This record gives sequence, structure tokens and C-alpha cells, in this order.
Amino acid sequence: MTVFVAIVIVGLGTYLSRAVFILALANRKIPDAVIVALQYVAPAVLAALIVALLTDGDGNVAIGVPEFTSFVVGGAVAWRTKNQVWTLFAGMTVYWIVRALV
Amino acid sequence: MSADRSTIQRGVLGALTLFVPAIPFALVFGLAVVESGLNPFVGWSSSWLIFGGAAQLTLISLLGSGAAVAAAITAALVVNARHIMYSAAMAPVFQHQPKWMRWFGPYLLIDQQFALVSFRTEDDPQTFRTYYLAAGLTFWTLWQATTALGLLIGPVIPEEWNLGFAVPILFLGLIVVGIDKSSKLVAALVGAGVTFLAAGLPSRSGLLVGALVGILAGTVTERLKR
Repeated sequence: MTVFVAIVIVGLGTYLSRAVFILALANRKIPDAVIVALQYVAPAVLAALIVALLTDGDGNVAIGVPEFTSFVVGGAVAWRTKNQVWTLFAGMTVYWIVRALV
Repeated sequence: MSADRSTIQRGVLGALTLFVPAIPFALVFGLAVVESGLNPFVGWSSSWLIFGGAAQLTLISLLGSGAAVAAAITAALVVNARHIMYSAAMAPVFQHQPKWMRWFGPYLLIDQQFALVSFRTEDDPQTFRTYYLAAGLTFWTLWQATTALGLLIGPVIPEEWNLGFAVPILFLGLIVVGIDKSSKLVAALVGAGVTFLAAGLPSRSGLLVGALVGILAGTVTERLKR
């Protein structure tokens, strides 16, 4: 139940963020400072999320050799190809291989 | 009428092409729902209630990892805050649309939809609407189907594969592909670093601190470069 309510709240919030200017503020300009800050939301939040997802219940960040190698290779592939499918494929393959070796 | 049909075709085709990179995302989301131990149908309901992969994945994986509900909701909302930019960019075009379209259109305004329709803003209102709906509803249908498929595949995949690790890899891919200037790299590195240092904070709230400091760092870096 709590989970469903959480989903509904995020759903409403997401709709609002997509609708706010179309429905209500069509003639308003977003302040420049906000536009600048909005560009950094995605990289900052996603990077923070990666670390949070690798944190265990006791607050220890669990990044071993397999995870680290996978990030380096996955990051390089993403940079070269700009392609999510290749990034995922390379990252997971390296992760499995290194994990089997270590 | 035939003009309408070709507009629909172009919308559907555009959406099909742009959806390909989202397929692994949809499957990984389905797997994440299974792995989180949450009710699968409830998890999947986010596909039509939220309709935004990054926020769905953020919310479900944080809830599944025992984060506080408030922290998970806040993180997911922050992830989706970028849509405000799309809304502002689309607002002038939507002024020529009927009221129902101004209410319904934003629901379909995902990243890929914005990428497609932002090139069509010069079309007449009728053509724009047809294209927008054709593309948007195609994305929507594909997303519902592929996330459901991920849920079905999830239980079949052996646990030793640890496919949950695909989530951070996907996020890394999103970051790297999106970096077009050094200040974004700074935002990402600071965001990760501060979250690492704040990892001991209760209920994974360190993530919010890290994200905020990262956004600030990116903004300051851009200021300094000018």
C-alpha cells in the first residue's frame, strides 16, 4: 500500500513537472539561474544514485574489483559509442568475467 | 486524410527508432521490480502512473533496498525535475492546441518524445497534434509491454547473475552519454563523492545531500568558466 501511494505521488509530481509551463505558466520565463541548475540535475542525481545503490544497510559502500572494472569499461564504451545497449552489454560482461576470476 | 496517415506513420516510425535504446532499460526495470521483492503488479503500475524510466527505477530500487519512503520519493521527483525544461520549451506550441490536448499532452512528454517533437514545432497545430499523439502513444504502448516482459523474464533469470548490477551500469551510461561539457562531469563526480562521504546517514538520505551538492558544484563551475 505504501509503495502504491509512493508511486502515485511520484506519478503526480512527474506529470506536474511536464505540465507546469504548458498548462499554467506559458507566458512566464524560467529564471536563467534555474535553467542553469536544471542542466546539472541529471548528472548529479544519477551519479549520487549509483553510489547509493552500492551502499549496504550499514552505510558501507560495496565497490569491489568487479564493480570498479565494469564501471571503467562501461564508461569508456558509453563515451565511445554513445549507445546504452553496448554500454550495458560491455559493463555486464566485464562484471561477470572479473567476478568469476577474482 | 492521406496527409494525416503519413503523419501518423512518421510519428510511429520515429518512436520505434528512438525506443530501441530504451528496451534494455525497460527489461532491467522489470528485473528490478522482481528483485526488490515488491508486489510485481504494483511495481509495474508505475509504468503508466509515472511513465518515466529513470524515476521508476530510482523509486523501486531505493524502496527495495530499504530506503525511507520519503527519501525514495524525493529522489525520484528530483530525477524527473528535468521535465520542467521540456514543459517550458513546449509551452508556446501547446498554446495553439485544444484544452484536452494541453492536459493530456504533458503525460506523454518523456525524454524521447521531447527529442522527437522539438523538431516539429513549425507544423500546423493539427499536424503537430497528430504527430505528437502517434509518437507518444507508440512510446507508451511499447513501454507498458516491455516493462511487463521484464517482469515475466525476471523470475526465470538465476540469482547468481546478479542482474541488479545492470541498474548502476545503465545510470552510468545515461550520465556519460549526457556529458557535453566539463561542468557536467564535475556535477557527476561531486555528486558521487559527496554521496560516498555521506553514506552513513540514515535511510540513504546521503543521496539527496550528494545530489544537491553536485548540482551546486556544476552551477558554480559554469559560473567560474565564464
